[in-house]
Amino acid sequence: MKFKDYYETLGVPRGATQDEVKHAYRKLARKYHPDVSKDPDAEARFKELGEAYAVLKDPEKRAAYDQMGSQWKTGQDFQPPPGWDAGFEFSGGDFGAGLGGDHSDFFEALFGRHANAGQRAHMHAQGQDHHAKVLIDLVDAYRGAQRSISLRMPTLDAQGHVTTQERTLEVRIPKGIRAGQHLRLAGQGGPGLGGGAAGDLYLEIAFKPDPQFRADGRDVYVDLPLAPWEAALGASVTAPTPEGQVQLTIPPGSAAGRQLRLKGRGIPGTPPGDLYVTLNIALPPADSDAAKEAYRAMGKAFDFNPREQRKG
Amino acid sequence: MNQTNMTLIEGRVVEEQVQLTLIELCQACSAEQEHVLTWVFEGVLEPAGDSPQDWRFGGESLRRARLALRLSRDLEINPPGVALALDLLDEIAALRARLQRAGVR
Repeated sequence: MKFKDYYETLGVPRGATQDEVKHAYRKLARKYHPDVSKDPDAEARFKELGEAYAVLKDPEKRAAYDQMGSQWKTGQDFQPPPGWDAGFEFSGGDFGAGLGGDHSDFFEALFGRHANAGQRAHMHAQGQDHHAKVLIDLVDAYRGAQRSISLRMPTLDAQGHVTTQERTLEVRIPKGIRAGQHLRLAGQGGPGLGGGAAGDLYLEIAFKPDPQFRADGRDVYVDLPLAPWEAALGASVTAPTPEGQVQLTIPPGSAAGRQLRLKGRGIPGTPPGDLYVTLNIALPPADSDAAKEAYRAMGKAFDFNPREQRKG
Repeated sequence: MNQTNMTLIEGRVVEEQVQLTLIELCQACSAEQEHVLTWVFEGVLEPAGDSPQDWRFGGESLRRARLALRLSRDLEINPPGVALALDLLDEIAALRARLQRAGVR
């Protein structure tokens, strides 16, 4: 197990007041909240902040954490000394703020796993609705697909301990689904109590990052490199679409950045989206005598100064 | 303790095929009715229908309500602040989409 320096996580000195801890947490939480930040590590950072704050905002937990001493550094191998928490009593309960009680091994070794126990006991007869995020390929939205999805759900056993239960579901991904949409799977959420109906499971759809295609709602974007003479003279070239190659006519005199719209070639639906092909011009390398000669010939053939043209 | 369920499950696309009542929306995002009422009042959610009993929330409300819930819980933002944050996030998303259309990644 690795030690975690909660003061370092929040960027405050060990002597910080409770108000300073709160202030630092709020500021960082706004910065790294996964709904606000586009930082790819935002979710992990936010979780760490929540964990650090759960300990440092609570005077009992903070005192217990502090008495392990300040010689520890983040990432050092660590085992809690036997009886380290003797004399401390944790009131418990106030764990759950943040994105669920999903804390590190380090946290759990020190403060236990009784995380959301109280919160999940509820009186409603209907089971809770659950949410999960699912990554699919863009092509799945074009064709529809069948995907098996593994879900790990924390559940309470008879003794009130949190255990993780793994379930695999075979889910039909409907053709035409778009990133950010939700699929509702009736009755696949938490079990009902006392004969009540089970809750529903909501799957939020996201696309796996694709090296070629970018989706925006129903529309899909792709870059297409052209040789200068193809752009200038026009050409018929093969272009990629998520469903395979198509033959595309490049009009003569196409400038870099020009977008060609392939109507209805976006994500299917009523109406279907469009596929936008953005033209780029790739220069062939001048890496042989013949190539250099061709560039020199071009230079002579054109009375062309791109800087002058830019002034308009 | 592994439980496997291999029957093929058909889902419904919430944004296109589902309308939610107040109770269903609260159940779907584990929110208190009181919170949802405040968000409707602040214009974060715009259901059809005149009274809370008749309200029907479009599928898009699910995403907005969950976002509102997370922001108010995680960052302790009050309802007018949540409304402002959602408007700004929508605006940022629209600008990002324009950048993307222009080919900026």
